[in-house]
Amino acid sequence: MSGFIKSTKEANQIVIIETDGYLNNEGGEAISAICYDKMKSGQNKFLINMAGTKVVNSIGVSILIEIIEKLQEVDGKIGYYNLAPIVSKTFNIMGLTKYSTVFATEEEAVSAL
Amino acid sequence: MSKQFNINELQLKYLELETLLDITNELNSFENVSVLLQEILIKSCAVLNASSGMILMQHNNSDLFQIEAEFNIDVEALKGVIFNKKRGFFNEVYQNRKAIHVQISADPFLSKTNCTYGLIAPLLDKKELVGVIVLFDKESRAGISSFDESDTNMLSAIATQAGVAYNNIKLIESIKEAKTFNDNVMQSIVTGVFTTNLMGEINHVNRAAVSIINLEREMVIGNHYEYVFESNEIINELISKCEIELQTLSETQIQIDCNGKSTSVNISVSPLLNDNNEPIGSVVAMEDLSNLDKLKSTFKKYVSKQIVDQLLENDEMLNLGGQEQEATILFSDIRGFTSMSETMPPNEVVETLNDYFNLMIEIIFKYNGTLDKIIGDALMVIYGAPISTEKDTENAVLTAIEMQERLIEFNQQRIIHSKLPITIGIGINRGKVISGNIGSRQQMNFTVIGDSVNLASRLCSAAKSDEIIVSEAVWKLVKNNKAFKGRKLNPIKVKGKAKPIEIKEILYQRPSFNYEVAYNMIETFLINQLPKEYTYHTIHHIRDVVIQSERIAKKEKINKEDIADLKLAAWLHDVGYIWEPSRHEARGAEYATTVLNAMDFPAQKINKITGMILATKIPQSPKNILEQIICDADLDYLGREGYAENSILLLHELRLKKEVSELEWLKIQDSFLSKHSYFTKTSNTTRNKLKAEVLASIKNKLKK
Repeated sequence: MSGFIKSTKEANQIVIIETDGYLNNEGGEAISAICYDKMKSGQNKFLINMAGTKVVNSIGVSILIEIIEKLQEVDGKIGYYNLAPIVSKTFNIMGLTKYSTVFATEEEAVSAL
Repeated sequence: MSKQFNINELQLKYLELETLLDITNELNSFENVSVLLQEILIKSCAVLNASSGMILMQHNNSDLFQIEAEFNIDVEALKGVIFNKKRGFFNEVYQNRKAIHVQISADPFLSKTNCTYGLIAPLLDKKELVGVIVLFDKESRAGISSFDESDTNMLSAIATQAGVAYNNIKLIESIKEAKTFNDNVMQSIVTGVFTTNLMGEINHVNRAAVSIINLEREMVIGNHYEYVFESNEIINELISKCEIELQTLSETQIQIDCNGKSTSVNISVSPLLNDNNEPIGSVVAMEDLSNLDKLKSTFKKYVSKQIVDQLLENDEMLNLGGQEQEATILFSDIRGFTSMSETMPPNEVVETLNDYFNLMIEIIFKYNGTLDKIIGDALMVIYGAPISTEKDTENAVLTAIEMQERLIEFNQQRIIHSKLPITIGIGINRGKVISGNIGSRQQMNFTVIGDSVNLASRLCSAAKSDEIIVSEAVWKLVKNNKAFKGRKLNPIKVKGKAKPIEIKEILYQRPSFNYEVAYNMIETFLINQLPKEYTYHTIHHIRDVVIQSERIAKKEKINKEDIADLKLAAWLHDVGYIWEPSRHEARGAEYATTVLNAMDFPAQKINKITGMILATKIPQSPKNILEQIICDADLDYLGREGYAENSILLLHELRLKKEVSELEWLKIQDSFLSKHSYFTKTSNTTRNKLKAEVLASIKNKLKK
């Protein structure tokens, strides 16, 4: 597990990934590696707890978009919660929220996905 | 990837604008510089897709920058790196006040970050460069790439906003600091102070005034002075008269009666004026005469705080009238100071004496001595008056030993800074003295007089440099204490005594030479004194030679003691550049001899150190393995990565003296490298390959 990925767990067949630090190229690739690995074993729902991520750049966002595209091929979904306001704003501007959902809490996300 | 999911340029521009807007909107919400800088750095990294970054700010108006904010960088790798605004890429930003995008590997300082590309923008205070924002390695899905003009413009815009915010916060901080300082001064002074406005209402009062007035602060602030000083006509009349005449008025020893408390004070009332010299109220100062502060302020210059406190707690111990009593008297005197001061400018004489007295008086008070007087460069100290204890004589001897020991450190610092050392002689005697306030009506001082005082002074005169001489009376009282060691000296004949006086010298340990202390002292001296315009012969080069010397020596299996000496020579090998660049080796060897002698470095090894320094003179001429190692370390860069950067630094330094064209520089390098050979097996094995490649490349350029 890279330093950026703080933990991973599963609830209701959803893989929950907790991040910590800069969501840039390196951070994005750490998330995609886990997602693609889990997708091989049939999992297609992912939630990202971003409480520890206060900074994101457009490369990190573009990797999340790549993940969304792959998930659409297998009818999967991805969502996020615990977003810092600046991260939330960047997701909006980059159009990420059109294709995936931002939730307020883990409970809300787990029941909605 | 389907088109709908692409992040397009418009979105990125929108994000840039939003970030700039965010920064602008948030600028005034920060009250703390470090929070502001961290926020700006993070936002800059995010919007410009930088992998990492840092903000460096100027340190204490020097040319040096220090890291004030960092994001995602390996701070450990930058430990010990000195960022100078006039070196490397920072110099370009400093000269042009414009942002630049660069390849980091070409900068000897920034390359320590292990990043490849950089974007540097200036933070300006008006037009002065106060710091820089540095971003590293632009990220893309294909890997990292260099920043472009668009990134440079964006970071410039952010840096401009950041500069404005930084200056605003600094201004607010300085105003707050000034206000806190004034408040603290007001609250700390022992004189009671309050101010009134034009309506006669009290609008400021300090702690001492509240104590004199004997009312809660809340009962004083906002009330008219006539209400607060209801039954104190003298004060009311004084303030009222001051308001009309706009002159300072004062009364001494008047009684203030407030809230059931009566206090004797000296009072002065002055008009309070604004910048246009118009009255805006009055300021009243009240000196409380009812306590012993007057005595305290008189005494604290001469005796330790501990004795002042004892006197204040129990004034029966204090006997300021004339009386006969036993006391121990210490005299110290700087040897040859008069002739030494003739060679020094007046301000340096004063500075030297002040530094010396500050150190000595600190030690005197530590052992509860009473500083009786300073006579030129001599000190007279009493133990046992005005308060006597059983430890008076031991304390006097302990004072003398610590004075001599601390003077050794004091002198090491002076010699490192090319200043003359100070030596002192000390004499101590114990016996009957007359103590009391002695003098005329106009000026009286507490002191001791008598034969015993005269003898102490004579012992001091008899003491040579670095000696402590004590009388038999003193030795008898301390000889049972194993901490003290004495040596019998020949009796001395003193004026006024028929028989020669028996004396002892108190022995003390001189600290042995400490390599680490010496390295640190020399490094600090070099950082402060090496000519700032030099680009190659800097502290970085000297540190490098120290490191390379140790590395080669270990490979050559040199023993630990020789390695320590080698490092000492490496630290000193270019010190001569401070005074005489053209013959720096010889000048460095002279300096090393003086400094090492003063630091008690073994005399028989000084030639070994100077030999190593002199061996580095070009053409190098080593006579033994240690000299071979320092020579190879000095030119280690010829055969390792980074030759090009060092060569540029050397060329810049050379151009300080004369014009050197690119072609001439190539020829100089060709000639130097062609003639040069390493001496040690280690350097020949590890450095010759790259050195040959460098030489071949130079020859190629010359052919073209």
